Amino acid sequence: MSERLQRVLNNLRQSKTKALSVFTMAGYPTPEATLEIVPLLARAGVDFVELGIPFSDPIADGPIIQAAAHRALQHGTTLHRVLQMIEQLRRQTDIPLLLMGYANPVWQFGLEPFAETCRRLQVDGIILPDLPLEEYRPYQSLFQATDLDVIHLIAPNTPEHRIRTIDRHSTAFIYCTTHTGVTGRNPRSSARMTAFFSQLSNWVTHPVMIGFGVKSHRDFVYYSQFADGVIVGSAFLQFLQSLKPDDYPSAIPRFVRAIRHADPEGMEPKTPR
Amino acid sequence: MKSISSPPGVSLTRQPNAGGYFGEFGGQFVPEMLRPALEELEQVFLSLKDQPQFQRQLEQELQNFAGRPTPLHFAQNLTRHYGAARIFLKREDLLHTGAHKINNTIGQILLARAMGKRRIIAETGAGQHGVATATVAARFGLKCRIYMGAEDMRRQFPNVQRMRMLGAEVISVSGGTQTLKDATNEALRDWLTHVEHTHYIIGSVVGPHPFPMIVRHFQKIIGEEVREQARSRLGKFPDYLVACVGGGSNAIGLFHPFLSEEGVRLIGVEAAGKGLQSGQHAATLTRGRPGIFHGMRTYLLQDRHGQVQLPHSVSAGLDYPGVGPEHSFLKQRRRVAYHCVTDREALEAAFRLARSEGIIPALESAHALAFLEYLMPQTHNNQVVIVNLSGRGDKDLDTYIEYDPTFRRTDRP
Repeated sequence: MSERLQRVLNNLRQSKTKALSVFTMAGYPTPEATLEIVPLLARAGVDFVELGIPFSDPIADGPIIQAAAHRALQHGTTLHRVLQMIEQLRRQTDIPLLLMGYANPVWQFGLEPFAETCRRLQVDGIILPDLPLEEYRPYQSLFQATDLDVIHLIAPNTPEHRIRTIDRHSTAFIYCTTHTGVTGRNPRSSARMTAFFSQLSNWVTHPVMIGFGVKSHRDFVYYSQFADGVIVGSAFLQFLQSLKPDDYPSAIPRFVRAIRHADPEGMEPKTPR
Repeated sequence: MKSISSPPGVSLTRQPNAGGYFGEFGGQFVPEMLRPALEELEQVFLSLKDQPQFQRQLEQELQNFAGRPTPLHFAQNLTRHYGAARIFLKREDLLHTGAHKINNTIGQILLARAMGKRRIIAETGAGQHGVATATVAARFGLKCRIYMGAEDMRRQFPNVQRMRMLGAEVISVSGGTQTLKDATNEALRDWLTHVEHTHYIIGSVVGPHPFPMIVRHFQKIIGEEVREQARSRLGKFPDYLVACVGGGSNAIGLFHPFLSEEGVRLIGVEAAGKGLQSGQHAATLTRGRPGIFHGMRTYLLQDRHGQVQLPHSVSAGLDYPGVGPEHSFLKQRRRVAYHCVTDREALEAAFRLARSEGIIPALESAHALAFLEYLMPQTHNNQVVIVNLSGRGDKDLDTYIEYDPTFRRTDRP
């Protein structure tokens, strides 16, 4: 288990602060930009960062992350390159870093060399949406031996008994999606979903982060009441799209502030519904 | 010829295991939110498949709606052309909607109804599966949406029109290569989003467990009929079975009932596109290596970093970078021999069949026919070869005409 990630999660719980995590695609809009974006997110007070590993066939992603992955691949952002980025980032920031992507690039890299490299580069966790518990189990000890937290996903249609099982096999936190569907979609919260989220904390012992389509301060406040924090992904990538690299140092902290505190100027990042 | 050796304890036929694995291939590599639907599908399938009432209804639909059993046609002229083994064609092209795909869509729509689903989605490459899905959705009164790559919509336009006439909504997928792989991605995303009331009728023996098992179950009637027809007409089993392999459903359907018959040699034919050296092909089992894609561990065309590569085939139905996990298993166990033929060889074979037998085959099936050029010289005249004619060629007429309106025999490229 990653001590760095554990420390951050513990501090948040003790100070009763809700976590804000941001997902960004490695290599988007360029590999150089990623090296600038992640430290800016850290300095802006994001609690941890998920770095996307681009994949050619991202079945759990909506159009924004699909397009970002496509662009990143055009820039040659292989998993090797992503790990090189991590090496460079680790010289600049101590923020917990998680990798998020699909199983195949990791399998082709080789699971053991991957886990070993992650340990050496101080990657704190890995999120693979197409690796459900059953497919993860044969490799569980391998990951645990290298202190790499594997973050499992649950969704509002996951039954209680299964959530409890997933909780038992979790280490750092559980990633709960706002809805059943792909990333970046704006969920309409229904009475049934509210009921699900309200019960969630009774079923798990680990912290829960809620993500998929979280895009505003309002979303942050709404979902945080049921969980330890939220993850913002597509909304951030769409925000990046509108920026020139020169704007990053001022715009990225503004984005983070707007999500966490509601922007005083009423400048919530605009994303289409 | 190689003999078939089975390591003790590992059965060829008793696959997949409870986790959905055929040996080391298959599995269920999908986001958590699909799990309830896959579990429900497996439960409903397992509880219904041996139930007499379900079997009767399936049989009725296959007979009276789809047109089963299909004939086993003795291709006399083609046999004379090669002057070796007798060649028979399993005429799946004569089924309603023109291909074997309807065997599976009828079975799956009955499952969808049993699960109380209101909406059907499917991916399609050549459009044959899309048409077969739109057809059963119309027949059973369910809403239907078909995902199809923009490039495939262009090259298989008659099928797009047929789906629309049947009341289905056809969604053009413009991401990626605009072919079957991307249509499947979009169908999976739709299913993730509407999983509660939607059933995804996957079109081949691919995807996460239990799909490869279910599609095989509904397609194995092809091989079961061939067993009966061979027994009564020939008094023996065939020596060779030949089928094309994209995702691999017509091949599994033909092969599965013969897996334990060691004397029956099984040959799967993949698309070599413009040639293996060109890099533009869809020969997944010949040139790919195991990877994780569309919910399964299977052979995959990919670069060394694990990114899925763009396949190429003149046939939209074979233009897929993955393959059913059971085929990966059968390749590894050497029970099936996998070969490939080029676009050009398939086109030539289509003309050869049209002019010798009066049958215009689908481009997909033409790949199986093209392999006869390699196989027949190795056979002798007391042997029997059966080719699965999985679909008819009306949809490919434009491609055929474009290729060579004054067809003449040319040497193999």
